[in-house]
Amino acid sequence: MRNVAIASTQSEPQFAALVDATAADPDRREQLTELLREDHPLYAGRGAAAIVRMRGWILLAMARTGVSDAALIFVLEELDTGTDAYLVAATARALRSYPRPNAALAPFVMRALANIRYRDEPVSFESYGEYAVSSTGTTPVRELLATLAWLGPYAQGALQELESLRAQVGGRSRKLRKDVDRAMQAIRGADQTDESNTQACCRAPPDGVSNPSFRGLKSRCGFAPIDSIVFEDHKGELITFKEFFQGQPSIVVFFYTRCGNPMKCSLTVTKLARIQKLLEAQGLADQVRTAAITYDPAFDLPERLRVYGQDRGVRMDAQHRMLRATDDNDTLRKHFELGVNFVESLVNRHRIELYILDAEGRTAASFERIHWDEQQVVTRTIEVLKE
Amino acid sequence: MATKRKVAKRSKSTKKPNASPKASARRAVSIATSSQRTVKERVAAAAEAPLAVCENEKDLQAMLNVLRNKDEPAKVRLAALQSLQAASFSVLAFEPCRGEYIATLRKVAEDPDPELRQRVLGLLAREKDGFAQKKLLEGLRNPGKALLPPEKALQLLSYDVHAEAYSAARDIVKKPPSEIARREALRLLAADASAAPLFEKLLRDKNELREIRQISASALHALKPEKLQETARKILLDKSDYDDIKATSLTALTQFGDDEALGKDKALLKSVDRLSAGEAPAKYKQSARRFLSKYGR
Amino acid sequence: MDVELQINNSSSPDARFVTWTPSPCRIRVTNPSGATSPTVSVKIAGVSAAGGGAVVFRSGTAGAFSSSVPLTVPVNGTSVPFFVAGKFGQPSVNDGDIKIEARVGATSVGSVQVMVRIRKNANTLATGERNRFVSAFAQLNNQGLGRFADFRDMHTNVSSPQAHGAPGFLPWHRAYLLDLERELQAIDPSVALPYWRFDQPAPNLFKPDFLGVSDALGTVQFGATNPLQFWKTDGVQGINRRPFFNTAAAPGGLRNETQTLALGTQYAAFRTLEGNPHGSAHTSFGGSISSIPTAAKDPLFFLLHCNVDRLWAKWQRKNGRFNPAQAASYDNSGGNPIGHNLPDTMWPWNGVTGAPRPPTAPGGAMAASPCVSAPGPQPRVQNTLDYQGGVSAISRLGFDYDDVQF
Repeated sequence: MRNVAIASTQSEPQFAALVDATAADPDRREQLTELLREDHPLYAGRGAAAIVRMRGWILLAMARTGVSDAALIFVLEELDTGTDAYLVAATARALRSYPRPNAALAPFVMRALANIRYRDEPVSFESYGEYAVSSTGTTPVRELLATLAWLGPYAQGALQELESLRAQVGGRSRKLRKDVDRAMQAIRGADQTDESNTQACCRAPPDGVSNPSFRGLKSRCGFAPIDSIVFEDHKGELITFKEFFQGQPSIVVFFYTRCGNPMKCSLTVTKLARIQKLLEAQGLADQVRTAAITYDPAFDLPERLRVYGQDRGVRMDAQHRMLRATDDNDTLRKHFELGVNFVESLVNRHRIELYILDAEGRTAASFERIHWDEQQVVTRTIEVLKE
Repeated sequence: MATKRKVAKRSKSTKKPNASPKASARRAVSIATSSQRTVKERVAAAAEAPLAVCENEKDLQAMLNVLRNKDEPAKVRLAALQSLQAASFSVLAFEPCRGEYIATLRKVAEDPDPELRQRVLGLLAREKDGFAQKKLLEGLRNPGKALLPPEKALQLLSYDVHAEAYSAARDIVKKPPSEIARREALRLLAADASAAPLFEKLLRDKNELREIRQISASALHALKPEKLQETARKILLDKSDYDDIKATSLTALTQFGDDEALGKDKALLKSVDRLSAGEAPAKYKQSARRFLSKYGR
Repeated sequence: MDVELQINNSSSPDARFVTWTPSPCRIRVTNPSGATSPTVSVKIAGVSAAGGGAVVFRSGTAGAFSSSVPLTVPVNGTSVPFFVAGKFGQPSVNDGDIKIEARVGATSVGSVQVMVRIRKNANTLATGERNRFVSAFAQLNNQGLGRFADFRDMHTNVSSPQAHGAPGFLPWHRAYLLDLERELQAIDPSVALPYWRFDQPAPNLFKPDFLGVSDALGTVQFGATNPLQFWKTDGVQGINRRPFFNTAAAPGGLRNETQTLALGTQYAAFRTLEGNPHGSAHTSFGGSISSIPTAAKDPLFFLLHCNVDRLWAKWQRKNGRFNPAQAASYDNSGGNPIGHNLPDTMWPWNGVTGAPRPPTAPGGAMAASPCVSAPGPQPRVQNTLDYQGGVSAISRLGFDYDDVQF
């Protein structure tokens, strides 16, 4: 966004050429990571399918140039919650260019396999925007199995599931059986006493992998412009940012009701309900507020918010609200640096994001991209509460 | 009698006595894919093939080949498609087949046969397939490249709210190639928050067809619920508006309205009373009477 | 003297619904005035409204049913059990169209209105039945804001392995329909889910006042008074459904009922109906109903599956396949995926999320019924087999089909 100035008016082929040029230049290829931010201007005004093509092309470029530690979180995110075959396949391929295979990566690959296996389809990496019309090429499942093979002994934990996969479908697909066998062989086959493997195994993975989604913020930004933003809640009551978010710490998630990926918004709001229960169990429900704010305030009117929350078991009352900004959504977006972009008013892509705000309403910590553990969120919130 | 005989004949051609379902299905595939058989026999056999498609790689390939093959009779290709589609409902069993199936559907999406194109593009659109969406959008922007008529393309794009079809839909509302295309464009735009003023205008326009006004009513419910109740009420009070849109408005209020507010609305009840006693079709009058009995008159 | 009659062992009016399966009932004296001995002879009988349903009785868990049952009831308030069931072939048409009356001699001492609530052929529903069903369904949808959204979200690509392509296909859909039906009954208790008998012509189904008429594009058109015109799913109004057959006739290529029931006497063979006629019925249309991720957007989906379930019920009755302990009743051989083994709880009602289950569990626990306690909030696969309670009375699920007797 800062270094790669690309207008959203660029055509997709122009974009693809730019990505290729950036990848080919050793001095610039780090900029590819920046291009994966959802709020990058190049994604504004594009449809969701275009976003998939564009992000996939960036990931394929990274597969050639290497995935850095900074880029790893984007790769893990797609494996964690991705549902698009092309993106998952490109991501699986990209991961194989990460310089440090380690055991912490295997669960992500297995999760992606579980997410995509019943939606497997051929994908084409030959040229930008191409869709496979034959099955001779690759698929996300093939790519994920190849990545498990690449992980080798670090993927020991995957063996049982691979055996199960082989038993279920290996008899009806030679190709799949071969890929599974190759992965299992690689996992079993490397010498377990090899010292270099042990060293690689036991060396701590980069911070981005051990707790990939958490960001504790060292300096807490001022929030003056956001104070006066007016929200409407699930009952149609109006309340400003200051009125709701100051006075007590709070946990805030972002979502929208038209999200097509159940592993993102639907699960996020469901998990918020679980966080609420943990807070209640620990006697904190009156000391910590929770809010789910929609990215899509024009469509997510109060009744829609209420029903969405109710259907996911969310507690809704004065301390715990589903909210839409009635105005100045842009200020809200900028304040939180939300990982979202739009085609007109409709979200085209977003990340998972949860923020812990202190009693002043300032962002104290965030969990981004990878699904967070509810207890971890509550634990961090208690730390903020005790400040 | 004739129907029974037809069933018996089909049974004879695909089933041996006491054959297991799997064995019968395999036999059905061999008939469905055989150019030595009549079209009728092949179509009938394809209906019994889904089980074999899931269980056996060769049978899957055989059926896909028939679907892909432009030289095969259209009816046989459509029957093969339906058989594969039926098999795809058995998700777990269909798992190893899906990749080839999707690839084949994409290939057939540009087939010279319009019915085949429509069916496979529909199948792909319901899977939110990027390939299908790209082709449909291209066709809306450039009618010379269209694989389907615009109204069908819009209908299929409406399966995915993220399909980036709003601007194409708006263009069609402004300059509709046909009434039906306009209707589908409006249906799609009913989820576009910025379209609320358009739908308010359409709902009040007595020159619009009931269906367009009804789509508008529904859109307003999503985008500006307070407007719908207000407008439905105005329609019912307007003596010069049509009975069919009054009936639609009444249905909306009866099903989804604010009971307390409606029960107190004397002017509204009076208008509905008039509808129940007037010259409207019997069904609308019954609907009015139901409304009145619900609110105690 | 007054007596209290409890239907389904409940005094709540919400419990006054019976099927062909015997419902446990109780009678007790609440006001013994006029009693001259410690017990009183009471005769319980049903009085049917014209064109209404009929019931039969027996005093115990076995034996023949008859149109009335004599009971000796203590005047001290102790309750006496008896059983009532719908008379096969005579379901109710309206709520409360049967009066169950207790008489002492010629004097009526107590009565309740009940309904024999049965899942019927959608093509032959009476106008009132059809309208109530359509109204309840439209209210459940509530223009996209109702509880129906959960039912739509239960049947998607992400969740499909829980319910398709393995033995749990029939149990899962039975539970799904039951949950939906109970939600409809919470709106209007007189409603039962009708079935679309897809191997026969069903012209009345595809009419403006019922499930609509498809235009050439496949957009379904409804009459001005049909509340389904406001049906909305995924934020978009309308239903896309394009029949590939003349709706005055039955779709072609489907196994008929006789052929389906003849698939085999073992469950493993019978469940191949998933391909044909089930899959073939789905794919007799273009539009939402013809693909798994969108099928539940069309209300017809639930009537289609109701027929699939009816076929299973008929096969069960024909072959005596209600007992999960009997191997032929189910395909419990090893290697079934999670959710498809007899003891497995079923998603989403079990609330279990995360691989190997889907990421969320819409809808929560199974809806309860005021009439029966089964299958409980988190049903297991095995809880769906004995739906009539023939093996164990407590297992009855509270529904029956018009042409599948107890």
